[in-house]
Amino acid sequence: MSEEAPIDRLAEALEAILADPGAPRPPADPEVVELLHIANDLRDLPRPAFKARLWADLLRSVTMTTATGQTMRETIEGVTPYLAVRPAAELVEFVKQAFGAEELLRTTGAGGGLHAEVRIGDSRVMIGGGGAWGGTPTPTGLHLYVPDADLVYGRALEAGGESLYAPVDQPYGDREAGVKDLAGNHWYIATHRLGGHVPAGLGTVTPFLHPHGAPALIAFLKEAFAAEEMETHRGPEGAIAHATIRVGRSVIELGEAHGEWGPMPTMFYVYVDDVDAWYRRALAAGALSVEVPALQPYGERRAAVRDAFDNHWYLAEPAASRGGTP
Amino acid sequence: MTSLSPAAGTSPGNEDERRVIEAAKTDPRRFAELYEQNFDRVYAFVARRAGHRGEAEDVTAEVFHHALANLGRFEARGAPFAAWLLQIAKNVLTDRWRRGARERGDPAPEAGQPAVQAEAERRAMLAELVNRLPGDQQRVIRDRFVEQKTIREIARELARTEGAVKQLQFRALESLRAHMRDVHE
Repeated sequence: MSEEAPIDRLAEALEAILADPGAPRPPADPEVVELLHIANDLRDLPRPAFKARLWADLLRSVTMTTATGQTMRETIEGVTPYLAVRPAAELVEFVKQAFGAEELLRTTGAGGGLHAEVRIGDSRVMIGGGGAWGGTPTPTGLHLYVPDADLVYGRALEAGGESLYAPVDQPYGDREAGVKDLAGNHWYIATHRLGGHVPAGLGTVTPFLHPHGAPALIAFLKEAFAAEEMETHRGPEGAIAHATIRVGRSVIELGEAHGEWGPMPTMFYVYVDDVDAWYRRALAAGALSVEVPALQPYGERRAAVRDAFDNHWYLAEPAASRGGTP
Repeated sequence: MTSLSPAAGTSPGNEDERRVIEAAKTDPRRFAELYEQNFDRVYAFVARRAGHRGEAEDVTAEVFHHALANLGRFEARGAPFAAWLLQIAKNVLTDRWRRGARERGDPAPEAGQPAVQAEAERRAMLAELVNRLPGDQQRVIRDRFVEQKTIREIARELARTEGAVKQLQFRALESLRAHMRDVHE
């Protein structure tokens, strides 16, 4: 058959291309070269299964939102700070020693790093990472209310923390000290002087952000997560000195970046009832997608977005057996 | 999809597309049509620039999730819908590069450049042409180039000789070439 020669020549040339797309190609007749160009483009065809699966995901997102869009406001459960750091195991030890944290969970995360959850007072904090983990560390600022700031400040230094500032009576009525832990997190250790040692509305640990452009971050939190602005204090020049923002049952504090208190973008784990709906809402509020909604091997449906301030927000529907986090 | 040219639905003046977009804004289920019309070109655009298939799929998924979430912002009188999707794709890819997820020399090209769009159109058309091949040729093309199976593996699965599979491969590529030429002429 006259076609046999080109058929074999083509098959041979294709073999070489598929084995090493970047390799220099041997000279071939122009007829074969044109077919090779087409073959090269065919390598980038989508898998039919992928197209179908993505549509199923999109459809699920659409259906869930349509069904639950009206009740979304009540359905963010809470926001948990996630400290991803290289010395993750050491940080767990630090918060246990310095702040009396209770270790709730320690496991290996999806990326092969450590994943731990601790409780400090009434608050949960996630700690992940480790030496083998290759991600970008996200140490941040955390406001910690304790019965005796001086005592806990001393313990934090003993546990290896570095003083940012010694205990001082702040004009807003708190006795407060600052400590930087071995992973770079800033802990603002405070004792409230009026009523209980924790101000009304706050928990033991509250993440404290110092973005450039606090009003825009507040606007994003409202739009993306139906956050409520509880209290805002402005400095003499009008910049937000301190704002308390409620997201679900949790609170985030923030103040405009100033002096040595600059942005420390971090990660948050947000438990919601409908990952797809909140994910879409966050994207519509200007967030960028980091992970599309997908069922994780440990049973949670999860998505992730990044805001304009580089904070990462993991949105997760708790699995039937709560606690199966990565 | 009945039109041979995936570009047929993308002209800003195309009333059908405009109507579908407006309908999808109020009933997101109507997004199905937009997905069907644009999936191949978005995937083609992304696959060319992503490091590997897994990344191409992740980015394509993000593009459509983002588009669905932001459909309300799409202005039908502006750029065509396909160009809007490719711009989102470009942003997602650029963001990945910027974040150092991958080391890569070339910056992402402008999605709005005619050459870039034309290339995505050409590849989308190729995907559509593959769908029109006879079943056995289609199977060989997908197994060989998408799944990257060897001639021997395909021959075994199809219970054909290796020579027969090579012939199917050849005929399929010849047919694709002929159709691509037709379209361009």
